[in-house]
Amino acid sequence: MTHETPADILRPHAEAQYANELAALAAGDTRQRPPQWRLSPLAVVTYLMGATLADGTVITPKYVGQRRLMEVAVATLATDRALLLLGLPGTAKTWVSEHLAAAISGDSSLLVQGTAGTAEESVRYGWNYARLLAEGPTARALVPSPVYRAMEQGTIVRVEELTRMPSDVQDALITVLSEKVLPIPELASEVQARPGFNLIATANNRDRGVNELSSALRRRFNTVILPTPATIDEEVQIVRQRVAALASALSLPDLPAAPDEIRRVVSVFRELRMGQSEDGRIKLKTPSGTMSTAEAISVMVQGIAMAAHLGDGTLRFDNLLAGIENTVVRDPVHDTVVWREYLDSLSIR
Amino acid sequence: MDSAPADVRVYGIRHHGPGSALAVRRALDTDPADIVLIEGPREADAIAYLAGDPEMKPPVTMLGYALDHPDRAVFYPFASFSPEWVALRWAGEADVPVRYIDLALTHTLAGGPSDAQPSLGSGEIRPRDPLTELALAAGYDDTERWWEDMVEHRDATSPFEAIAEAMTVLREAYEPDLVAADPTERRREAQMRAGIRAATGDGYQRIAVVCGAWHVPALAAALDAKQARSDTALLRGMPKVKVAITWVPWTHRRLANAHGYGAGVTSPGWYHHLFTHPGPDTVARWFTQAARVLRAADYSASAADVVEATRLATSLAALRGRPLAGLVELNDSACAVLGDGTDIPMRLLSSELIVGTLIGHVPASTPMVPLARNLATEQKRCRLKPEAMPRSLELDLRKPLDLARSGLLHRLSILRVGWGREAQGRASVGTFRETWELQWEPELEVRLIEMSALGTTVQTAAQAALVQHALATKSISELTDAIEQCLLADLAEPLAGIVQLVADRAALDVDITHLMEALPALARTIRYGDVRGTDSGALATVLGGMVSRIAAGLVPACTSLDSGAAESISRLISDTQSALSLLSDPDLFGSFHDALADLVERDRIHASLQGRATRLLADAGRLAPEQVERRVSRALSRGTTPLDGAAFVEGFLGGSGVALVHDADLLGLLDRWLATLESEAFIEILPLLRRTFGTFELAERRQIGERVRTGVGPVSALGHRSLDPERVAAGIETIARLLGATT
Repeated sequence: MTHETPADILRPHAEAQYANELAALAAGDTRQRPPQWRLSPLAVVTYLMGATLADGTVITPKYVGQRRLMEVAVATLATDRALLLLGLPGTAKTWVSEHLAAAISGDSSLLVQGTAGTAEESVRYGWNYARLLAEGPTARALVPSPVYRAMEQGTIVRVEELTRMPSDVQDALITVLSEKVLPIPELASEVQARPGFNLIATANNRDRGVNELSSALRRRFNTVILPTPATIDEEVQIVRQRVAALASALSLPDLPAAPDEIRRVVSVFRELRMGQSEDGRIKLKTPSGTMSTAEAISVMVQGIAMAAHLGDGTLRFDNLLAGIENTVVRDPVHDTVVWREYLDSLSIR
Repeated sequence: MDSAPADVRVYGIRHHGPGSALAVRRALDTDPADIVLIEGPREADAIAYLAGDPEMKPPVTMLGYALDHPDRAVFYPFASFSPEWVALRWAGEADVPVRYIDLALTHTLAGGPSDAQPSLGSGEIRPRDPLTELALAAGYDDTERWWEDMVEHRDATSPFEAIAEAMTVLREAYEPDLVAADPTERRREAQMRAGIRAATGDGYQRIAVVCGAWHVPALAAALDAKQARSDTALLRGMPKVKVAITWVPWTHRRLANAHGYGAGVTSPGWYHHLFTHPGPDTVARWFTQAARVLRAADYSASAADVVEATRLATSLAALRGRPLAGLVELNDSACAVLGDGTDIPMRLLSSELIVGTLIGHVPASTPMVPLARNLATEQKRCRLKPEAMPRSLELDLRKPLDLARSGLLHRLSILRVGWGREAQGRASVGTFRETWELQWEPELEVRLIEMSALGTTVQTAAQAALVQHALATKSISELTDAIEQCLLADLAEPLAGIVQLVADRAALDVDITHLMEALPALARTIRYGDVRGTDSGALATVLGGMVSRIAAGLVPACTSLDSGAAESISRLISDTQSALSLLSDPDLFGSFHDALADLVERDRIHASLQGRATRLLADAGRLAPEQVERRVSRALSRGTTPLDGAAFVEGFLGGSGVALVHDADLLGLLDRWLATLESEAFIEILPLLRRTFGTFELAERRQIGERVRTGVGPVSALGHRSLDPERVAAGIETIARLLGATT
């Protein structure tokens, strides 16, 4: 497919990369749109799940999995509840949230990254201290956060890794989500959210205990849990698609399509993740690191890069094995045993 | 006016479709009929009037069965949301006659069980479902959902014309291979047409016909003369059988297709809700109920959650282009809002709400087999209501009501009407407590009908069943079990007969192991018979005879056995001992113990049996401690092979090391024996010893080890001299009073 993406940007935003798909969808979309939405909810679901439109435009599937999950997610954003996407690492939480924002608001750039060091300013607003000293607290001295801007514009804002944020910063979102208001006591004013404002948060449900959401905040969210891909075919499709996209973004030379290699890598990852062989005959130990689809993708991309730049230009499973080993062996004692046992089990199969 | 042709309106419905039910009711309200014809067996006319009884509460089912083969039965279940039921109730309220126009059961049940179930099940879903084609054509992958959207969730406008049209097209496409090939199907439709003709013939002018959508096109030609002739030909000469039909309570669980005799309705609770609360509040009310169920199970579910779940479900329905949120939307939204993305609450909601726990009720005047009627009376007497949800019931047999309940439940288990399952084993017979797991399944009604051949009351039928079983069985232990059941179920009458049977069989049986197997049940009956007011005189005589025969036959039966046989007979000997100790009759004990004493001294008896016998005699005080010591010493001396010695020890200790902990002499004997064994012999008997000691409690083993090491047991520190006689006397008095030895 041909996308007109700016050549000098490493990773364009979703709305830029899939601009023609979004335009085609918008053109053919006759259904009612919620206020400020670029597309109707059904068109957003179509954008995520993929389809061929009446005018022949092919919408690539962004999410491979159950359609009902995406329907619940989109329907949630059409109500005034925020959306919480939960899942193990690499289950496409961030990916889905980016595309949701792109399709609904045409802007996926309003993003707050949750870390242990995320301060309240990045959720509410900060100050330009030079101006603050010169002029005192004025609207011009105020530095709005992504949440602030989304409220003003009536668009979607994304909060990544919500549970990594300190609890007090998380709770700053409560007023925003329940009252749709961000008070600015310094200016004795407030920002009132315009229609179309909503928030998508993602969190890893394996380390949910990091900074567990307070029940007050939790009640502002509808939760959708994104599962790990149910079948190997689904997972192979995800990996193939993402690897192709990344390879073209990184201008890696076109390697002969390697569906067998992808399937083998995915199969290794699935088996180690589930702790048993694909046919259910052999029990395996699970490594301490996460064996997500995202890791499988990065192993593939790395393998392609190695083969293209350092090797003879053909992708071999042996090259990939080194990458897989690096992913598996995080704890040198425990994981080395796991990996050796796995290789043994491979050789007897 | 009477020259005008009759106005026949055919309402094609989906069985158990709430939308169809609402549509039928609307149609009948706006355009009343003067007779209602319903797809259902013609015999149902006789019991249709009962639907108007205020005591009749759906879900209920019509149950038709062949009188000679009660197991050949057909169910026609109705819920409150079944269109047929709605039509029936409407007719009752409007005082309009109702007729059933499908093939009579007398014909359908004659054909044998395989084709006995007319497809009044799941909305005409056939193996090759024609509706699927329509749904696929409309872009639905789920037929049920398509039907729901098109018909069930439609308001105000009547769907019946459109249904008739769609079915006509479908039938044209399928007619050659689907309908014509099925003779029962053709006869059913011929019969329905005949029913319509009969109604016009009787002068009715506005005729409403309620039948499965699939049949609508076939009924259009009902009044055609040519069709009438071919129908008559088709209906001639069908086989016949005697049948009966009645109403029986049904449950929502039974309607759900996951269970046997299901009606193919996956979510009766939801349908019930849809039918009872149509209109704009349906979804909100549903979530309010869901929140209550969740709160009852300690999940947090606030009113705000209910609001959000309702909103999400509605906007999901809009997103999916459905006219009203269906169960799928409700579940998705409950999962996202109430369940934090997990399906944990769904499991709760599924059984409580989506399927539902409703159980129906039929009025007392319903024709029932006498046995079922008697059971209803008994249930009332015992204040036990049949319930669909399993629950457990604790009975205290000292209370008259609980005793009656226990009797009833035991009688029903004799009849294999599995309403209650006793939670504990037989051993509880001696206590005054019983625990039952109760759950009423509608199928039990069929068992009742099957069993009604045995008697007209629960008591007489249970007696007859017991006697029948007793006459058929060859094993004495099953007979004594039957005697015990007589006691538990409070059935005095067959007792004498069965006791006589036991006496006869016991006299003829040459194998005393059979007698020993039968003894414990008999002993329990005699011991606890008094508690339940049973006369046990005759039993005691039989038991006395059995014990003498066991005593006489014991030694021959124990001679020349291998280890396996010895082990099983050893268990029987122990059981006999404990059975006899229940009765504490010195005469019985005397003869049995004489036999054991004989056994101990004989040759060619397996050493483990001799060990066991020695132990039993010692425990009963029949052998003095020094006699026991002498016998054990003999078994462990050099004259006996080490293997026999070890077997003797195994039998003697019998899975408990207490004797070794408390008897220093015994332990010393064993210790010396082991210490003096040749190393080869030791290795030979080691597995056997290991097996013996392995069964002991950990604490016992530790104490034995301690004693061997120190030579002094932890128990012996508590010498007799340290006890104060006065204080001991006070304690003994209390214990005696507890045991009932003093008054």
